[in-house]
Amino acid sequence: MYVANKLGLSTLNQMQGSTGAVYDTDISNVGILFGNASQHTFPAQTNVTENKFEVNSALLIETIAFYRLDSQGVPLNLLFPANGLVGTDVLVFDLIIGNKVVMKDTPIFLGGGPTTFASMPKVDTFGQEATIPRHQIFLEGAGILIPPQVEWSIQYSIYNFTTGAKKQVNPQTDGTIAAYLFGTRVLLNFNTTL
Amino acid sequence: MASQVSKLNYVDRKLGAPTSGQQTTRIVYDTVVPGTQKTAEFFKNFAGKSLGQSNLTQGKLDSSESMVIKTITFMEGFTGSGLTPLGAAHHVLCSVIVGNQTVVKNLPVNFNQGITGQPFDRLHAAASTTNQGVPFNSDMSPTELRLLTDIVIPPQTDFYVKLETDGDFGENTLLCVLSGYGKIFSAGSSF
Repeated sequence: MYVANKLGLSTLNQMQGSTGAVYDTDISNVGILFGNASQHTFPAQTNVTENKFEVNSALLIETIAFYRLDSQGVPLNLLFPANGLVGTDVLVFDLIIGNKVVMKDTPIFLGGGPTTFASMPKVDTFGQEATIPRHQIFLEGAGILIPPQVEWSIQYSIYNFTTGAKKQVNPQTDGTIAAYLFGTRVLLNFNTTL
Repeated sequence: MASQVSKLNYVDRKLGAPTSGQQTTRIVYDTVVPGTQKTAEFFKNFAGKSLGQSNLTQGKLDSSESMVIKTITFMEGFTGSGLTPLGAAHHVLCSVIVGNQTVVKNLPVNFNQGITGQPFDRLHAAASTTNQGVPFNSDMSPTELRLLTDIVIPPQTDFYVKLETDGDFGENTLLCVLSGYGKIFSAGSSF
């Protein structure tokens, strides 16, 4: 509400508070998520029709998670194993709202961490002793607000941190990169909030 | 204990640093290949590094940026492939130096160091958790250390992280990640 008021969104507090998540898939393999969401299939590839919220709708991001669709379009919770991606790779992304970079050069290490809050690895399906890393960041200290009617996107690249080389995802073998933004949602509501 | 947000605001205010930047989650990282040396220093040398090897270009934050270190993460990686336990079966000690002050001194990155190393708290990754029997290219978890006392990196202040071991790191690449709450330059309203 503080940010909303600063941005002049004086009626946002009359809308329906909720919990929400938006996701999108980079099926064009151009290193952009959400920016081209209007061209993507609902709900297989995205759950938004465009990369901005309608009037009096907003999202306060509390966590960001990456995953991938395999070449058959099946969601996988891992960025790897994939033919071209290894544990020393790192996905580096910017979160852009309007014309401002609000998270810059933020890494998601394919080997896991830093999750900034807790790693909480997922038990692997191959064996009970195995765990697989989360490719997720819990935002520290302050959430980030995506206001109504402002475009947002994620721009990312993948590197290997041992060689420094930039890597190109191969959609045929590696699948396609996707991301979730999860947090407190404000939904347009003309009546009393429940 | 002061929150990360209020602590950063307090220090910025005491130093006269800008406090109006975009609030965000800030993660900075750097890599080194120490070879046979028993020490490795991060955030000191940036020559020739790509964005995949470091997301800073100097060993300090910009004039309008500051951050709070809440979590320190280390990884040791084979060139072009997966991870391996940090420091193998040797003790690894971590120091953090901000300005001319040592703010973390010779802290073991986890207890029971080696291939059975465990994090001090119960939430974070161990140095050497093996994904047994799983055909992952990364078969080791990183080492993650959650600080009990937040460390502030003010604007324009040199900082670096030092690892020391009684063994050596071989030809593997070491990665150090500092993460927490931060502020980045922002003109106009923050989101």
